Amino acid sequence: MSSSINKEKLEHLAKLARIEIAPGEEEKLLKDLENILEHFKELEALDTTNVPPMAGGSDLLNVFREDAKENGGRENTNRGAGVDAFPESKDGYNKVPPVFE
Amino acid sequence: MEPLHDLTIKKFHEGLLDKEFSALEVTQAYFDRIKTHDKEIGAYLSLAEESAAREASAVDVAIAEGDDVGMLAGVPLAIKDAILVKGQPATAASKMLEHYVASYDAGVIEKLKSEKTVFLGKTNMDEFAMGSSTENSAFKITHNPHDLSRVPGGSSGGSAAAVAGNMALGSLGSDTFGSIRIPASFCGVVGLKPTYGAVSRSGLIAMTSSLDQIGPITKTVEDAAILFKAIAGKDPMDATSSDADYDNILDPKLDRIKSFTIGLPEEYFIGGLDPLVSKEVEAAIEKLKSFGIKFKKVSLPHTKYAVPAYYLSMPAEVSSNLARFDDIRYGVGPGEKRPDNLMDIYFKTRGEKFGAEAKRRIILGTFVLSSGYYDAYYDKAQRVRTLVKRDFDEVFKDVDVLLTPVAPTPAFKIGEKIDDPLSMYLSDVFTGPANLAGICAVSLSTKPSSALAAGELPVGFQLIGKKWHEADILGIGQYYEKLN
Repeated sequence: MSSSINKEKLEHLAKLARIEIAPGEEEKLLKDLENILEHFKELEALDTTNVPPMAGGSDLLNVFREDAKENGGRENTNRGAGVDAFPESKDGYNKVPPVFE
Repeated sequence: MEPLHDLTIKKFHEGLLDKEFSALEVTQAYFDRIKTHDKEIGAYLSLAEESAAREASAVDVAIAEGDDVGMLAGVPLAIKDAILVKGQPATAASKMLEHYVASYDAGVIEKLKSEKTVFLGKTNMDEFAMGSSTENSAFKITHNPHDLSRVPGGSSGGSAAAVAGNMALGSLGSDTFGSIRIPASFCGVVGLKPTYGAVSRSGLIAMTSSLDQIGPITKTVEDAAILFKAIAGKDPMDATSSDADYDNILDPKLDRIKSFTIGLPEEYFIGGLDPLVSKEVEAAIEKLKSFGIKFKKVSLPHTKYAVPAYYLSMPAEVSSNLARFDDIRYGVGPGEKRPDNLMDIYFKTRGEKFGAEAKRRIILGTFVLSSGYYDAYYDKAQRVRTLVKRDFDEVFKDVDVLLTPVAPTPAFKIGEKIDDPLSMYLSDVFTGPANLAGICAVSLSTKPSSALAAGELPVGFQLIGKKWHEADILGIGQYYEKLN
């Protein structure tokens, strides 16, 4: 396993994450990420072959409900008051620049 | 009227019912103090004076009309800026949400509104709760009320400093890997990280959804229990929340507390511990021994893997949770012009408005989730999380509660660790394992603030309890305070 992040890889990751990295930031970011990954290599030595992954914090399984407002939806979380936060809106809809040009 | 530094939720409630003061008078007294003291401390990001006065007056009217009011009626609280209070800013201390005003109440705020509490304002924090010192705020530095040259801890540093600085009677913070307990320890107050699922996360701006929990920061353990009981319980808006029986949490039974065995995990009493922390935690153990509680040495062998497992799995959740912040849905400032092209909006906004730590975590998260690295990092870290949890399952067969330090050091100097993310991460070494395991833990000061010598820094110790057993740790804490 190659744990290193080089300049090219960092630029690719930043592109995937939709983050513009300023030229001055790159070097420090690269160094920090290298340090973090290097320090945490000690996990490699630990045998976890038969250990199941723990993805959530809860022991609960399969909590179902009907997808309906009366089953718990708080009002005005999205339409309504939420619209006020949109940088641009039209008729209660979020106005965004064209996705395909 | 009771001076603010002596006031607790319980004393406030009694004084209110005895008509020693009105809720409005106390709320005003807090705002007066905020105006004279918060310039140098910097606990608050925004104040809600008008709505707070309305909320307090409504309680005074209810009392004048002879209505029964609960323990929390009129209690002036400070709320971490990651928690949504309808109509108030919720910036999470990020430029990204600088102009965002919450459009709904968090589940915990709905519950507190039904108790008629008063909301003084929103408190400073590390941006999106990422940090242990509150220095990562995009807006300002918060200073420790016990020593202005030091950090208050983080990420809920504003909430802890507000309570320690007598600028709120209690507050809410959130804790992902220590973010309530570390500032509570550094500021000499009480902070509870509840069992995962005990408190709704609806309306908490998410950092790491599988670990985040909202909890109270207060002056006494009893106050923490009162506030916790009010915010706990199932919320249909958070599928991971559930109801538990906390009926007796305010009335711990002495016989039960005395029958406990407390475990001292050897991995938490290591060489690198600051001498002041060692001395204070040892003294706390001796006090509890004098009380008749038995102690036993135990081992949690995977402790040292908790921090690496966290820093390799948390960024994955961060990169997903922060993907929604792109200036498409949330407030853009007056006069601020977005680029015309969609891709430019994404790249520029996220490049300019996220702070260094947020960017570091998003990039690292994108890395650990990417093809070829997922198994080595993300999946591996989640398996290690299981091992950390199993350690606790094992020791809790033998002991009822664990006692440990909260952080390896007392409050450190502002600027001391901010340029070295790794050293900041290691502040969380004793608090994080409880989050990974989903169990509850409380930080309480070894001695009351009034007993600190001039210039002496407060030190907290941590009691870790089984899942849903907040009554155990808060019970011991309540008796510890009586001993003091």
